[in-house]
Amino acid sequence: MSGLLALAPAPGQAWPGEEPPPGALVQLLEAVWAAVQSTTGQEWTFAVFAILALGCGILTVASRNPVVAAVWLVGSFCSVAVCYVLMSATFLAALQVLVYAGAMMVLFVFVVMVLDVDEAGRASVKGARKPALLAAGTVLLGGIAWILLGTITRQVKTPGRPIDADFCTATTVGRELFGPWLFAFEAISLLLLAAVIGAVVVARSRRERLKEARADGLADDALEDAGLAASEDDAHDLSVEETHRPHPVMDFGQPSAGGHEGGT
Amino acid sequence: MASVTSFLYLAFGLFFIGMVGVLVRRNVLIVLMSIELMLNGANVALVAFSRLWGNLEGQVFAMFVMGIAAAEAAVGLAIVVSLFRARASANVDGLNLLRDGRGD
Repeated sequence: MSGLLALAPAPGQAWPGEEPPPGALVQLLEAVWAAVQSTTGQEWTFAVFAILALGCGILTVASRNPVVAAVWLVGSFCSVAVCYVLMSATFLAALQVLVYAGAMMVLFVFVVMVLDVDEAGRASVKGARKPALLAAGTVLLGGIAWILLGTITRQVKTPGRPIDADFCTATTVGRELFGPWLFAFEAISLLLLAAVIGAVVVARSRRERLKEARADGLADDALEDAGLAASEDDAHDLSVEETHRPHPVMDFGQPSAGGHEGGT
Repeated sequence: MASVTSFLYLAFGLFFIGMVGVLVRRNVLIVLMSIELMLNGANVALVAFSRLWGNLEGQVFAMFVMGIAAAEAAVGLAIVVSLFRARASANVDGLNLLRDGRGD
């Protein structure tokens, strides 16, 4: 409100005989109308889809059910893909829809389906520490927002230099990707392979590893050495002595018994 | 053509929402989704600068970020599955196994 008052002309400023300047509200409305009239269709598209992306992002973070959050995240990814198209990055937009909104979200929803996660997961902080944690979080978020927004507002406001018609087609991006960045591309492929193998190893349950070891023909004493023998009858992947500890040991898949090299 | 600055504001918004999600939410799946949002914000900034300077290296980097995000999602979800088998819970506050003595 004080900002609007500051915009208002001080009394007695108008020259005699001149029309008094319009009030602050009228000026504001005229400025908004001028901005609306000078906005091109592309900018309208950007505005709509940027707001959609941000709104879907907020709903992702705010929704309690992970499946609902995943659906909102798909909406956010698709809106971001439209913004890529506005930046004439059409190939990347296609990748965004295929990889992010397609493959990765299917993975998320599949894991949610397998896990049968409950709808819990609200923030829970106990009594005395809550104000301190809230203050620390506010300072952290506010500081990062301050720095980032300060950097952005100092950036150039040009729409970018003119580009060729074939800037960002799959051909030109592929030339760049398989030319100067070939080594990085191969490194990423190796990383993906490592991630796939790691995911398979980490997600195996103890019973599955025991079954594999048996199938490989390991003897029982070798199984015992690997800590697998006692776990045949437990239903929740905790060996007997571990259940008596205050913190049950998590099963992250030890390098083990039978592994992939096969039996003895 | 919307200016580069507006795309940077979009990138900032996505990154900030993701950061708030990582800090506030306790459900490990939604924390992973928030990380994807943050990576998306970084991608938007990369593509915006690639458009500003008129060369493609920013887009190539955005593709690499997509690859990293895919690998991270695969390993992260495998850890979630393994964790869920051991704990039957998706709450990140419960993961204090390595914490010193004070317990929950």
